[in-house]
Amino acid sequence: MTDTPQENSTGLPTLERFREFNSTFPHAKEVLDFKEQGGKVFGWLCTYVPEEIIHAAGVLPIRITGYREEVELDDGTAYLYVNSCSFSRSCFQLGLRGEYDFLDGVVGGSTCDGARRLFDVWRQYIGTPFHHVLNVPRKYTERAHQLYLDQVMKFKQHLEEFLGSAITDEALRGSIDLYNESRALLRELYELRKLDEPPISGAETLEVLVASFHMPKELFNQWLRSLLDELSESNIRHRSRARLMITGSVMENPEFIRTIEGEGALVVADELCTSTRYWSDPVVLDGSTSPLEAVSRRYLNNFPCARMYPSDERFDRIADLIKEFRVDGVVSEIIRYCVPYAHDLPLLTHRLTGQGIPVLALDVEYGTSGSGQIKTRVQAFLEMLEAKKR
Amino acid sequence: MTSGKPSGSGLKTIIRASRLITRMNQARPEASPSEGMYYTLLADYYSRLLNAPETGDFIAAHTVFFPAEIMYAMDILPMHTETTTWMIALFSGEAAEILSAGAELGLASEICTPHRGLAGAFVVGTLPRPDVMLWSNLVCDNTAKSGELLMEINQCPGFFIDHPFHDSEEEMVYLVKELEDMVRFLEEHSGRKMDWDRLGEVVAETDKQMQLYREINELRKAVPTPFHSQGFLQLLSVDYLFAGRPEATAYLETLRQELADAVEEGRGAVANERFRLMSLFVPPMYLMGFLERISQEYGAVSVTEPFFTYWGEGRLDPAKPLESVARKAYMLPEVQMYGPLDERQLSRVAKLAQDYKVDGAIYYADVGCRHTCAAIKIFKDVLNEVDVPVLTLDCDVVDPTITSEEEVREKLEGFFELLEDR
Repeated sequence: MTDTPQENSTGLPTLERFREFNSTFPHAKEVLDFKEQGGKVFGWLCTYVPEEIIHAAGVLPIRITGYREEVELDDGTAYLYVNSCSFSRSCFQLGLRGEYDFLDGVVGGSTCDGARRLFDVWRQYIGTPFHHVLNVPRKYTERAHQLYLDQVMKFKQHLEEFLGSAITDEALRGSIDLYNESRALLRELYELRKLDEPPISGAETLEVLVASFHMPKELFNQWLRSLLDELSESNIRHRSRARLMITGSVMENPEFIRTIEGEGALVVADELCTSTRYWSDPVVLDGSTSPLEAVSRRYLNNFPCARMYPSDERFDRIADLIKEFRVDGVVSEIIRYCVPYAHDLPLLTHRLTGQGIPVLALDVEYGTSGSGQIKTRVQAFLEMLEAKKR
Repeated sequence: MTSGKPSGSGLKTIIRASRLITRMNQARPEASPSEGMYYTLLADYYSRLLNAPETGDFIAAHTVFFPAEIMYAMDILPMHTETTTWMIALFSGEAAEILSAGAELGLASEICTPHRGLAGAFVVGTLPRPDVMLWSNLVCDNTAKSGELLMEINQCPGFFIDHPFHDSEEEMVYLVKELEDMVRFLEEHSGRKMDWDRLGEVVAETDKQMQLYREINELRKAVPTPFHSQGFLQLLSVDYLFAGRPEATAYLETLRQELADAVEEGRGAVANERFRLMSLFVPPMYLMGFLERISQEYGAVSVTEPFFTYWGEGRLDPAKPLESVARKAYMLPEVQMYGPLDERQLSRVAKLAQDYKVDGAIYYADVGCRHTCAAIKIFKDVLNEVDVPVLTLDCDVVDPTITSEEEVREKLEGFFELLEDR
């Protein structure tokens, strides 16, 4: 039994496997094996890119991410300038330095300024053979769904032309099933976080999530099933001073959450494109729509990014998560120059504080593990939450 | 999080300054008539806004690259929020109060100053409270995300236009439908019905204006070039504020004639034209006077601005007014930066540099403008390939604390030396 999450060995062998995988990505054995066996690997730049279509084409889709820690982004800055978000610069620098040379294609979306310019410079300076960028509407109207479906169809057609083979409905249904299974398993994992004393910390959960969008789903699902078995048999229980939720910009360094949890909090819920927003909504195949339309609807209707309008849709779902996971306070982490989230912050803070949920707003850089200043601010936040409970 | 008592103080500043410039021009025989017309247009635009509470005009505040034609056709008073913010900064020479008010709302310093400032301007009451808020995603996240907060501050309803990323026919149809929805929204909230014939007339006027912009662009190819260095900002403002208005057509016709006369007489905008420049994006507003002076001093003049003055091809069809408004959105010079930066865009910039005999380019790297700065490297490489050096000037369009006149002078002088050596 542990009071606060520990950094090192967890006693959970599968979690160690996820860690090992993450530490070697992008050159992880499980990815390179796929490539060496003659498979093609595509990188995607944003969660609005429908992975199932790439998978149904027999291609391995992996998410392009940046360095696992905060590093000097001299090349990234030289190409994307200092006022692009550090996520875009980090991804691009990794690509420019050849770490993604094994990719056969890159797929992006018109989701935010950072994502679209990252796609532009990638196409211009990194020689990946296939490029495609989807127009992603910012609304949820029926018209927007029809437009996005048209975009998804064009993407499928472009992919088929590049590969010289058709993507069948049968293959797409198979991919949908596989990805939905992955989502269902992650939901099981998140159910454990609702417990008073969850067996898995927020940092450990993020380690699993990071692997989820980097490795073949077939393998990920096997590993996650094993982890769920191990967790059900373990007697690990994480106690905490406060139950927190993380919201905001893209983030994949578990050390950042570990820093917060090191102060005695437990992150039990999250609203990031590397966490709940990545996996939470399944593709619904109800017989009345084609698999392609079902995929298209899922991606536009998914737990929204701050780019979408109206923002209430996102705010409502955050409020729902706060209730479901019995969250005491929200930590907003926003990467500098991540404008969609920065614009939403005053409105979200106004709304949450009105509901009695305090918000700690942290400005960070992508890859940060958390500075002394962040620790101090988290400590003060936790003290305030404790005082509020008394 | 609501607006302060509207004082309209910012508008009064613009009106006073515009009238003063107009009067000064009347006293200067060498001043061009178009210059006076421009400032009269500004004074009239902002006077109408200032007087709206008394006249009962319905104010639709809107973000940049928004189809003002629709409002004019419905007799609704448009208020261009970003332009108004930067004009306040330009004419008052200070932006600290509105930027500080924006920051107090919780808007991060990375949010561009026109948007941070305009939120602050509504809070402190510098701008009048609008009846509705209209915005779109052209051409960046700041515009896409600003509307909801402004609705909250002003406690008014709003409408967001979702502008598609590509320019396929399906996307054009989508945009037309978005515009139809916006017209319905405006009809509902203003009580005014759209007069489609009137919109056709406004579109016909806009089409004339687009042709005039193109003719002016052609005249600017002349050596020496006839139009003064920062004149392109006036062209921008005319489309932003007066698209489809006959008085704007009159201004453009006058300007075109003045430039044609200057070309015929071999008169340049600067006494001794030495450096023909391409301007990329927005110079600091608070340095306008300085930039004009240094232009004269060094004989350096902006002759082309690919994303401000160079319109896409095509004509508008008054018989299809709403479709024309949508098509115009794709022809806007700035909107060429919204879709993918592919070969179409890059070769266009290189060709403009050659067509206008450009010696060098100045890239105004506005610290708050992410989507333009992220393309600096791409455009530098493209321009260097056609032997055009590029100077990157770090700045902010509104906030004078980011860069000073001395710093800009030093960089420009260094760049002019480099051009001279070539």
